[in-house]
Amino acid sequence: MSLDAELLAAHAAGDVEALITLYTRASEEAVQDAARGFYLTHAYVFALEAGDQRAKRLAERLRTQGRL
Amino acid sequence: MSTDLTAVIAPIEQARGLPNAHYIDEATFDEESKAVLHASWAGLAVAADVPENGDAKPLEFLGLPLLLIRDKDGGVRVFQNTCRHRGMILVSEPRKIEGAIRCPYHSWCYSTKGKLVTTPHVGGPGMNTHEAIDKDTLGLIEIPSHIWRDVVFVNISGDAAPFEEIHADLIARWAEFDQPMYHGGDDSKFELGVNTNYKLAVENYCESYHLPWVHPGLNSYSRLEDHYNINEPGKYSGQGTLVYRQFEGAGGKRFPDFTGLSDKWDDGAEYITVYPNVLLGAQRDHAFAIVLEPQSVDRTVEHIHLYYAVPNVDDAMRLKNTAQWKEVFEEDIFVVEGMQRGRYGPGFDGGRFSPAMDGPTHCFHAWVAQRILDYRQSHSVAAQ
Repeated sequence: MSLDAELLAAHAAGDVEALITLYTRASEEAVQDAARGFYLTHAYVFALEAGDQRAKRLAERLRTQGRL
Repeated sequence: MSTDLTAVIAPIEQARGLPNAHYIDEATFDEESKAVLHASWAGLAVAADVPENGDAKPLEFLGLPLLLIRDKDGGVRVFQNTCRHRGMILVSEPRKIEGAIRCPYHSWCYSTKGKLVTTPHVGGPGMNTHEAIDKDTLGLIEIPSHIWRDVVFVNISGDAAPFEEIHADLIARWAEFDQPMYHGGDDSKFELGVNTNYKLAVENYCESYHLPWVHPGLNSYSRLEDHYNINEPGKYSGQGTLVYRQFEGAGGKRFPDFTGLSDKWDDGAEYITVYPNVLLGAQRDHAFAIVLEPQSVDRTVEHIHLYYAVPNVDDAMRLKNTAQWKEVFEEDIFVVEGMQRGRYGPGFDGGRFSPAMDGPTHCFHAWVAQRILDYRQSHSVAAQ
């Protein structure tokens, strides 16, 4: 299953844990800088909403990139 | 057109009740709501509605979308349930906020204390800040709130004096009950939807005059002459009894008492309205709170909650007590709905009060009328 398909499936299932993981992966695999920031933002927002401990680390990465 | 309230604030011997328009006319009720329900400390809910940190419950108060939430440190707060971005409703169903409140539209996120935490893509894709968006000034709009006897009171207009100041006398009156009390849980709460203006539920609660006629069972052990009126003009009103009989379960078993009460409460109990819309009962072995939710000029939902002196009281007794109170409060429905229907008769002039028996009711009417008169005067001055 492609990453896009996995993301759509996670959205459809409301699987926040998977969304955080998949958006983080999408960010790391993205070629373009804007796309990296876009996906990283989504990973962060879902982690923040869920109270997931990864939110802090994701926020640091966004901050380092001047995106937060 | 403004109603004439002169007769309402007259001494009880000459007074008449609030004119019909305050019960059946949308425009009059709208003005009254701003003057009374928005400008005072109105009951919204109970803190037991959000028992755990992160619990959030969306509510409406006269169409105003609110969010009751217990923040991550245990404080109960009330916010407008509206995102500061495009005005989207933030929370649509009761749920637990695990981390942040995320707006379902563009995902602006707020902490449980209302702080705007992040604004995704606000500066363009992947850019989550913008110099024009100052997060410190865009937190959720918090409604001033105060909790007393577990009831969450709100001051929508935001300009009322502090709750403890306005209700200092009542708080002092029941100071003996200023101790932990425990909501009985899901089987100790119920709702009654009634086709009436909320004020009629208040006035029916305030007086004991109707007890022998409407609650013959209740009155068989709580006689009319054993009740007294509680009249504190401009503050609160209600009724008390000198012959409170404790609830008894199988084998005469009783609920544990609240601790350290004076002799007055051995056989006494009081039932008081915290104006404008909260009905409270204080008794040695259990308490209750009724939050009247005014849904419209002629529709009210009564939210009833029962409390005990200790957690986890006997299950069977608790259930029986809930059923007993429900029966009593249901007996009042035909009265409050009947008084509502009666107010469509144009010849009714607000009605007269028995100077001996209706003091608490007149006290409430006069309080409402004075709030409206004050509101009209302040707006008249503002207009000039």
